[in-house]
Amino acid sequence: MTLDDYRILEEPYYRPLGDEIVIFEAAYADRMPMMLKGPTGCGKTRFMEHMAWRLRKPLITVACHEDMTASDLVGRYLLDAEGTVWHDGPLTIAVRHGAICYLDEIVEARQDTTVVIHPLTDDRRILPLEKKNELVKAHSDFQIVISYNPGYQSVLKDLKESTKQRFAALDFGFPNPEIEAEIVSHEANISTDLAQRLIKVGQRSRHLKGHGLDEGASTRMLVQAGRLIDKGTSFETACEVAMVLPITDDPDLRAALNEAVSACA
Amino acid sequence: MSEAWADIRKLLSQSRLDRFVSEGAWQHIARAFPGEEFEDWVTALGSLTAAGIGPGGAAAYVRASPLCADIVGADATLALAASAAQVMRRAHVRAAINLLSAAPLAARRLKHTAGFLQWLHAIEDLAGRAPESVDLVIDRSDQILSQLDAEGFRAWTLAGIRNAGDSAERRVSFFSLSEPDALRVFEQESGLISLGEMERLLKAYLAALWGIYPIVRPLPPRKSLMFRPRRATFDRFLIRFPETYPGFTAQESRRLFLAGIAHVGAHIMFTPERFPVGPLKPVQVALVSLIEDARVETLAAQEFPGLGRLWRSFHVAQPNTPLVAEAHMARLARALIDPAYEDDDPWVNKGKMMFFDARSSWDDARISRTIGGLLGNDLGQMRVQFNTKSYVVEPPYRDDNMGVWDFGEPPETQADDADVIYDSFHIEHTEEDKPHHRQRTEEHQDAAHQAARVRAVEEDIGMPVARYPEWDHLLGRERPDWTQVVEFEPRPANSDPIELLIAEYPDVVARITKLIRSAKVSQPTRMKRQPEGDRLDLEACIRATIDRRAGRPFEHRVYETTALRYRDLSVLLLLDISESTRDQVRGTDVSVLSLERAATVLLSVAMSGLGDPFAIHAFCSNGRNEVRCVRVKDFQALFDDKTKTRLAGLRSGYSTRIGAALRHAGAELEGQLTHRRLLLVVTDGEPSDIDIKDKRYLVEDARKAVQGLAHRGIDVFCVGLDGGGESYLTRIFGRRNVLLIDRVTALPEKLPMLYLRLTA
Repeated sequence: MTLDDYRILEEPYYRPLGDEIVIFEAAYADRMPMMLKGPTGCGKTRFMEHMAWRLRKPLITVACHEDMTASDLVGRYLLDAEGTVWHDGPLTIAVRHGAICYLDEIVEARQDTTVVIHPLTDDRRILPLEKKNELVKAHSDFQIVISYNPGYQSVLKDLKESTKQRFAALDFGFPNPEIEAEIVSHEANISTDLAQRLIKVGQRSRHLKGHGLDEGASTRMLVQAGRLIDKGTSFETACEVAMVLPITDDPDLRAALNEAVSACA
Repeated sequence: MSEAWADIRKLLSQSRLDRFVSEGAWQHIARAFPGEEFEDWVTALGSLTAAGIGPGGAAAYVRASPLCADIVGADATLALAASAAQVMRRAHVRAAINLLSAAPLAARRLKHTAGFLQWLHAIEDLAGRAPESVDLVIDRSDQILSQLDAEGFRAWTLAGIRNAGDSAERRVSFFSLSEPDALRVFEQESGLISLGEMERLLKAYLAALWGIYPIVRPLPPRKSLMFRPRRATFDRFLIRFPETYPGFTAQESRRLFLAGIAHVGAHIMFTPERFPVGPLKPVQVALVSLIEDARVETLAAQEFPGLGRLWRSFHVAQPNTPLVAEAHMARLARALIDPAYEDDDPWVNKGKMMFFDARSSWDDARISRTIGGLLGNDLGQMRVQFNTKSYVVEPPYRDDNMGVWDFGEPPETQADDADVIYDSFHIEHTEEDKPHHRQRTEEHQDAAHQAARVRAVEEDIGMPVARYPEWDHLLGRERPDWTQVVEFEPRPANSDPIELLIAEYPDVVARITKLIRSAKVSQPTRMKRQPEGDRLDLEACIRATIDRRAGRPFEHRVYETTALRYRDLSVLLLLDISESTRDQVRGTDVSVLSLERAATVLLSVAMSGLGDPFAIHAFCSNGRNEVRCVRVKDFQALFDDKTKTRLAGLRSGYSTRIGAALRHAGAELEGQLTHRRLLLVVTDGEPSDIDIKDKRYLVEDARKAVQGLAHRGIDVFCVGLDGGGESYLTRIFGRRNVLLIDRVTALPEKLPMLYLRLTA
């Protein structure tokens, strides 16, 4: 198996905010398990794609959800014409053939699911396939990375302490206004001036975090608003469509955000 | 026509009206009521006279009817005659005559037929319910209608009736507008958009703009109805707004509130410290304020250009006004923030020039002081009159600038004490430091425990914690801030009687313990024949393989999986402890309240056994301003002996205003982060309160409260201890959310079982 489909050939745009690239390279050199923390839409996934491209390694991404079981990661027996056949799950493929396995939003998965990664994250670097009675030794290129959004979910969802302590972490936040404007302007193909106004709107919504909103508008949302503007939508409509409406259903907050958009326009 | 005239002459001589009404007026009537309508007019006058309104009343009708008919049409005017007759029957002749005389002015205020009819209806209604006050209201009709529309008028009169209950004396004081409550309701009704509707939006708006998280409150109600326009005001703690901006459309009021809070926000951001008043004259204070307003707005508009547009839209001053200070200041205000505005006045232009010359130091508040001081001097030298008493800041979105001045001694707030207490508590309630607040009460508990014994004879003192609206089914809408919830600390008492009572239900305790074990948290359940799963379901596989080999279509769901079932709910138990719970249950010597207590303890055993967070509140009420709520147990507190002693300390008394209690409990539950939130109500009788006569009123309000809770994802379930309570309880809670228990002694065993069934 070549994993060619999982290779990233063109450089994904990523604007470094600090020395995260250097740190990640160092961590990869040691195949250290990594945890990327930060609010949704701040660029964690994009960073992973960029690093996979930079390191020239295939990247297998798994979006975790609350119904995900251990078999969804590891693999399972399927029924075919001849009887049962084993199919490797995404994690097993990465372990066997040497890819970076990125488990996105790991807290979403149930806690009993996440423990299957434990043997991979210490110096054993093995993956026991209990049902198949096989012990897969990790390929030398294999690395596990998880992303984790602290606090956005209810307090009920958190990583087990035993899971947390196996990872080194990089903390991502929203970039400072100048850099964020640069990113939005690049990604949405709009002028810096327009991008700066979008950033201003974004900051307004971030003020409301914890005061009605669970999370302010992410860089991703701002990029989307920018793309709508680039396609000819007016500034205020683009902000409403790409930011205000998705972010909340509360009529008062919507009105307040729309008014704040008008104030920035 | 000549026949009609003959009729009129006859009527005239009958009622001796010819002395009062001139020929011209008759012609006006003939014009206003053409053709058949004239016949109706004559009939109406005839019936008024027959009802005994007397010559004065008939003359009033003759004078008023054509004037009203010109504005609201002939039909509505005929309805006026009917209303006058009705008022005469219900109240007295004088009121009816007053109504007729007040009608033309009211018609002029209300403009439309529908509004006029609504007004008449409200007056008739009032005559029936408050005959002693109807005169007062009619006398003030013109004044009231200058600020309220017909709907607001009706809401206000209903509020007066609801407020006073049976007491004619209190009705009179309400309707003569001498009571603060009357003025408060009046303000709430007098604009199209009230602060209550805007409050959340305003706070979020200011938070979004500058990350300022303010406390917004209405201004205290004014002392009388005679007034000048009111402006927002702020200090370091609070931003206060008028309840409404009368005279503006809904859209304009909304924008005024937004512009107002943004302006206050600009002060908070850009007025670094308050100016000392020092030796400044009033006119200079006003002008320094004006310059400062322009300065902070300019700075804010540099950051948010949209705010500049919003503010400028309210500046409508024009050149060529007479030489009056107010008008000149409005022009200057406009000139400073609207570059497109041209003015020919040298004083205005001087101000403008000085302000823009100081462009480079706009971020320095001292320039306002300098420029304002100079301009104030000039105005003095121009001998322009400035009246401090009547001066009101313009445009209306701007605040009164009390927040930018330091008057030396901190001015005592003019609000009465109750208002201040209420405010400070409200703060605690809205801020997210609830756990903190709780902790404090927990800490104080032991002290309270001891103190309670000492002051056992003292009257207990409650703290007003929140206000809630109440639904008026006649009005078809909620009356804001109508009820006040007052929290009381329960007095701990000996819990032995409870323990004894529980000891009578040993089998129940055993059964509950067993059920808990089986209902306990996160039991894995095996789910077979799933489309996806961890393992192959062997039976399903074999069946599928057989089918496939036999050439039949086969089932694809051949996996099995295990799913965990979490319990994720919190419960608030709301106990009715009104006077009726003192009654003894037939055939026993225990009271309803004792049984409620025992049931609560058993239920608590079940809930704490399952690990579900739960709280226990009890309520009763003593009029709308004292809905008493007792916190027996908070969500964070453990269920222990202390809880039992607090339960034992509950005493029956007062009435059952259930709607407010439901809203308060709902607000408490809303803070819980669990997936399911359940409000379990135990009540023994129909909602009632001392100030309410209308039986349906509290039922409908409670129904509305339950609906509101359902909207916010809170399940409400009621256990009724009144065998005959089906009609109103199902009306309030819905048919499926009520369990009626005929045999009250069964409550302690039924309540925990019900809970386990509800939450299984």
